[in-house]
Amino acid sequence: MNIKAQIAMVMNLDKCIGCHTCSITCKNVWTNREGAEYMYFNNVETKPGIGYPKNWENQEKWKGGWKLDDGELSLRTGSKLDRIMKLFYHPEQPELDDYYEPWTYDYETLINSRRKNHQPVARPRSLITQKRMEIKWGPNWEDDLASGESARNDYNLQKISDEITLEFQDIFMKYLPRNCNHCLNPACVAACPSGAIYKRDEDGVVLVNQDGCRGWRHCIPSCPYKKIYYNWKTNKAEKCTFCYPRLENGLPTVCTDTCVGRIRYLGVILYDLDAVKNCASTQDEKLIYSNVLNVIKDPTDPAVIESAKLNGISEAWLRSAEISPVYKIIKNWKLALPLHPEYRTLPMVWYIPPLSPIAKNVEEKVYLPDSKEMRIPIAYLAELFSAGNVSVIYQTLQRLLDMRTVMRRKEIGESMPQNLEFEIETYEKMYRLLGIAKYSERIKLPAGLQGVEHEKLRELQGSTGYACPGGFC
Amino acid sequence: MNELLYAALPYISLTILIGGTILRYAQGERGWTTKSSEFLSKNDLKLAGPMFHVGLFMAFGGHVIGVLIPKFVTESVGIDEHLYHFIALAGGIPAGVLFVFGFILLMIRRFGNSRMSVNTSGMDKLLYLILALTIFTGCAGTLSGFGGHFDYRETISPWFRSILMLSPDVSYMENVPLVFRIHMIGWMMTAILFPFSRLVHCLSFPFEYFGRSHIIYRRK
Repeated sequence: MNIKAQIAMVMNLDKCIGCHTCSITCKNVWTNREGAEYMYFNNVETKPGIGYPKNWENQEKWKGGWKLDDGELSLRTGSKLDRIMKLFYHPEQPELDDYYEPWTYDYETLINSRRKNHQPVARPRSLITQKRMEIKWGPNWEDDLASGESARNDYNLQKISDEITLEFQDIFMKYLPRNCNHCLNPACVAACPSGAIYKRDEDGVVLVNQDGCRGWRHCIPSCPYKKIYYNWKTNKAEKCTFCYPRLENGLPTVCTDTCVGRIRYLGVILYDLDAVKNCASTQDEKLIYSNVLNVIKDPTDPAVIESAKLNGISEAWLRSAEISPVYKIIKNWKLALPLHPEYRTLPMVWYIPPLSPIAKNVEEKVYLPDSKEMRIPIAYLAELFSAGNVSVIYQTLQRLLDMRTVMRRKEIGESMPQNLEFEIETYEKMYRLLGIAKYSERIKLPAGLQGVEHEKLRELQGSTGYACPGGFC
Repeated sequence: MNELLYAALPYISLTILIGGTILRYAQGERGWTTKSSEFLSKNDLKLAGPMFHVGLFMAFGGHVIGVLIPKFVTESVGIDEHLYHFIALAGGIPAGVLFVFGFILLMIRRFGNSRMSVNTSGMDKLLYLILALTIFTGCAGTLSGFGGHFDYRETISPWFRSILMLSPDVSYMENVPLVFRIHMIGWMMTAILFPFSRLVHCLSFPFEYFGRSHIIYRRK
C-alpha cells in the first residue's frame, strides 16, 4: 500500500439549477485575459447536447483518454513515437471554431452615434481578428436545449439511439457542470512531451508548469474531457488549477464557494497509488467504477494511516480525511459516480446523478416513482456515469429515492419501508448532507500547505501567474 | 570588408546565438514555446507544417555532410567529385522542394489569413524575411552546382571549419559567388535573431519524453 492524499469534489446534480455562477466567477478569477477569452475552466452544459467544445465526448474524433492494448494501458492518441510524429501537425487537436470565436460588442457606437431615426446598434466584433463578425456559436449555445437540433447529436444519445426518441412528450434535460477532474491517471500528464504537466504529490491537483510548457499541444486532444486549453496569446497550455492557492489556505475553489445551489462538496480522500494502474487497466469498462471505490481507502484503517504517515501526510490532512464529506458520499453511501469512467483516467470530480420528474405515462399513478419511471432515461445516465452499466445507475438512484421515502414517511408518521440498504439514521445523515448542509459541512479542507510567510507572499506578488515576468513573450 | 563579414561577424553572431540563448532560457523561459498557430488555423497547416520541417531536417543533414566533413575524408572512402555531386543533388533537390514549397505555403497561410495576425509579431516578420533570403539563396546555390564551376567544399566549408577552429581564414571566401555570400550573411543574421525569436523551440525537441514514466508527481 502506498497512500496518497487527493482533494476530491462531488457535485449533486439534483440541485444544479444551471445558473452558470460557477463558470462566471471562475472566469473572472482565471480566464479574463487576452488569449484566454474563449476558455472556461468551469462550464455548465445542458445535456443532452454536444457540449463545449463541440462533441467533446466523441473519442473517435479526438482520441482522448486511455485504451487497453492486449490488457496494457496506452494513450488513445498513440504510442510515444506516434505522437512525436504529430509535433508539426496534430490531426486530433481542436481548433478555435470547435469552441467558438470570442467576441465583444462595439459599445462605443451607442454613446458616440449622431442623432438618427433609429436606435444605434452595438455590433459584434471578434476578439481574435478585431474585425466585425457574425456570431455562429457560443460557449453556451445549447443552454436549456436552446439550439434544438444539436441536442440530437449528443454522442451518448447516438450510442443508445434505438431507445430514446427525444419526441416532445419524452423530452428531458439536465445540467452538467464540468471542470478539470484532477484524475488519478491523467492522460494529459502522460501526453505532455515536455513533462510540463504534473500531479501534485500533496493534494493531487494537476497543474501545467507555465515555464516548462513548450506548446506542443499534445495534452489538449489527450484529455478526454477537453479541459486543457491552448492560450493563443502566450502559446502555452492552461487548465483548471482547482484554485490551488485557495486550497493551500484551506479555502474551497471559487466554483464551490460561489455555487448558488450549494451543489458542490470538497474534501480529502486517501487512495492507494499502487492500485491506480491496475484499476485503470480493468478489462471490462463497466467495472471500472466499482474498482475505483477499492482504490479509495478507509481513512480510519490503521494500515492506511501508517502508510499515509510514512508518505508524509500530516495529522491535519488525516483528520480532514476522516471527516471528509466526499468520502462519505462516494464510498460509504455510494451516491456519486465518475463522469465517463470508460476514459480510464479515474476522474476525481464525482457526480450524484439527478432524480428527475416522473415520466408522462406513470404520472397519474404514483407519488414517489421507481427509479425506472423517471424522465431521464437510465440508459442515458449510464452512458454518462457508468460506461453503460445500467444497474449501477438503478442502485444509485434507488438510494436517493430510499432517502426521500424515509424522510417523507418520518414526516407524515408512516411505517418505514422494508429491505432498506442502510440504517434509518444513515438516511437522515444523508438527507442532512445532501439537503441542508451548511458551507462548513460541505467543505472540509486542511489549511497549511502554503507554508509561506505573509511577508514572503508580498515579495512574490506579480512574479507568478500567467504573465511574462522575464520578457521574451 | 571581407575581414568584417567573414572573420568578425561569424564570431559576433555565434556569440549572440549562444549567449543570447542562455540568457533567454534563464530569464524568459515563460515565453519559450513553439508559438504554434494550429489552434487558429488548422487545415492549411496539415501539408505545409510537416513539409517545411521535414525539408528543414533534410537540409540540415546535408549541411552537416557538406560543410563539416572535409573533402579528403569523403574522397578517401571512395566518393569522387562526380558521385558526391550526384548524392548532394539527389538529397538536396527533394529537401529544397519540400523546404521551399513548405515555406511558401506557410507564408501564404500566415499573411493570407486574418486570424494569423495575432500569432505574427514584428520579430516574426523580420525573421521570415531573413529566412526567405537564406532559403532562396541556399537553393539557388545548390542548383548552380549543376554547372560544376564553383566548389563550395574547397572554399566555404574550409572557411567555416576555420571559424570553428578559432583561426578564421578569410582568403577562402575571396572568389565566392554573390549568391553564396548572401547565404552566409543570411545564416549569420538568423543566428543573431535566433535567441530572441520563436526559433528557440527547435532546442526543445522532446528527446527526454522517450525515457520518462507516463505520470509525473511533483512536490510543491
